[in-house]
Amino acid sequence: MQFEWTPEQDAFRHKIRDFLHDNLPEDWEKFSEHGPASPALTAFAREFCVKLADAGILFPHWPVEMGGEGLGPWEQQILAEEMWIAGEPRGGQYMNVNWIGPTLQKYGTEEQKARYLEPITRGQSLWCQGFSEPDAGSDLASLRTRATLTDGNYVINGQKIWTSYAGLADTCFLLTRTSDDRKKGITIILVPMDTPGITVRQIPSLIGEGDIHEVFFDDVTVPETARFGEEGQAWEIVAYSLRNERLGIPRFTLARAALDRAVAMLQAQGRFARDYVRIEAARCAALCEAAGTANYAVVQKRVDGLAIGAESSSARYATVMAERAVCEFVIEFVPEALAGASAYLKMHHQRGIVAGVAAGSAEIQLNIIASEVLELPREPR
Amino acid sequence: MQLALSEDQTQVLDFIDSLARPYATLPMHDVSLALESAELDAALVENGFLDVMAVEELGPVTAALVAEKLARLPFAVEAAASALVRPLIDPELPRPLCLVEEGRTGGPVRFLRPGATVVVVGPSGVRSFAADARLIAPAQEDTLYAYPVAMLTGLPDAMTVHEVAPAEVLRAWRVAVAAEAAGLLGAALASTVTYVSERKQFGRPLATFQGMRHRLAEDQVITNSVYWLALRAAGTGDAGDAAMALLHAQEAAKRVCYDYHQFLGGMGMTLEHPLHLWTYRLKLLTAELGGRGEQGLAAAEALWE
Repeated sequence: MQFEWTPEQDAFRHKIRDFLHDNLPEDWEKFSEHGPASPALTAFAREFCVKLADAGILFPHWPVEMGGEGLGPWEQQILAEEMWIAGEPRGGQYMNVNWIGPTLQKYGTEEQKARYLEPITRGQSLWCQGFSEPDAGSDLASLRTRATLTDGNYVINGQKIWTSYAGLADTCFLLTRTSDDRKKGITIILVPMDTPGITVRQIPSLIGEGDIHEVFFDDVTVPETARFGEEGQAWEIVAYSLRNERLGIPRFTLARAALDRAVAMLQAQGRFARDYVRIEAARCAALCEAAGTANYAVVQKRVDGLAIGAESSSARYATVMAERAVCEFVIEFVPEALAGASAYLKMHHQRGIVAGVAAGSAEIQLNIIASEVLELPREPR
Repeated sequence: MQLALSEDQTQVLDFIDSLARPYATLPMHDVSLALESAELDAALVENGFLDVMAVEELGPVTAALVAEKLARLPFAVEAAASALVRPLIDPELPRPLCLVEEGRTGGPVRFLRPGATVVVVGPSGVRSFAADARLIAPAQEDTLYAYPVAMLTGLPDAMTVHEVAPAEVLRAWRVAVAAEAAGLLGAALASTVTYVSERKQFGRPLATFQGMRHRLAEDQVITNSVYWLALRAAGTGDAGDAAMALLHAQEAAKRVCYDYHQFLGGMGMTLEHPLHLWTYRLKLLTAELGGRGEQGLAAAEALWE
């Protein structure tokens, strides 16, 4: 075991840091208060991701046959950490390079790969995930948005909710029901968001402007070739994608950076002397580092080519604990931060609320850990 | 970054498994509070498991893995201090090794007995002496902790001075206790999981109730975190990492000891079930090195000063 980065990995991290330092605008910290899905940050990302692509740091972790440099999971992790600490200047495009691209490569048809991969590599596409529905949140397999195959076209009717990026996305990675066989009846369809019959409504939220939406599908018609994978294959594909997605946002790094900022503010004002403040800060740091190492243990499995199992849920839950602890620390000891005193801490707090909710709620992670890590007998259904 | 076990590490752990197999289970109704085995201790010494830190291809992470592994046994073994701290002071010091803090020598000392080496760590430096009966309060037969413990009645006038920085010994000590706690946490969780998976109430195993499943799953997350922080602290040799590892371990111990006895109900109050061998050791470890508040202060100093 080796808990330090190699000189090459350190160099890679510094390359990204230097690039961000040289290329982010001076008012970036204030600007990044616009959430990752805001119109402002989305427009910014369309220019910024082109620069990242030109500098070779948009998708260097992709395999060479996909146009990447084949750098691997550790570099993907480092890239994600540096971007997230910086306030995610890629906006919603982080999803493209983390899991949409690799999932397209693994399951897509040649036509789909040709159509969708190239814009991702140019930093020009934005996707949304049509997963949750008003009556299908944690119980995702009960989703009802229906896709009916008629004369070579799928006709889609239904409603999605909590859909990040939907307001500005080009394409939706949409889960639909094609038969009543619960998980086996779910099918993915890649739907261009300008298809007639789609209505998007923004939901005002605590996360930031433009982040979550309702999306309505009324007789939305797409060709059968828009289907991704086979009918009924969605659950398998989504399980594969979400295991990447759960690792995708290294929230523990931003939580740790936010904690360091909060401590620096307290120190600057002589408010970091009391033991109970210092102990609480240390407890938060330990939770952040614990989450980090648990996440790295999952990345290691990916490096070794092993299947990622429920340990990703354990790492994810550790991250939720760290996020929560830091958010609570900031409010208790630096309350002015959320009232204008620190754009960075406010940004962290807004994004922190998502940690236990998105990509499968924290309680669902606990269910998975109970069944698959501890191997407890299943709950009766 | 490389978080998979090396081949050497896997071999060491497999070897410990086979050597410790006779000590992995207990006959029912034969469980005392503080179980020890001189034979197991001798076998570990003879096979060099407590000296792995000095072996170049093994090092401190392997020593932490050994301490974690041995702490899972129902038999208490003085392994963590010997494997992770002794090499820094003097690899030839006679065992068991008892670490005490200068100014805090009045508490229960694990494995203290005549012949043990007591190391006093503090601002005056790192000093040691061989314990003899005159400096030890009579064995604490009625102690609730599941370690063999005794008390020091005082310190000798003359002690051996060791040329090693006290801060460095404190760092390694924190790693050692964190690694030991990680093993205890793992064993206590496994023991509880087995029980609640078999015990039926309302016609179904207790483990099928979500109120219990979620808490056990959180306990798994915490236990896993303690394991990784302990190994990381061993690997980096960083003072902040060591303090965070022990802080996290001591926080975890408080939480799970309560949960597990609660989940075992009446069975968790008996000596018939071995759970207490791990939880009542963990309870004593929450007091080690001044408790979690001290680790928090040490971590804060290392991280932010």
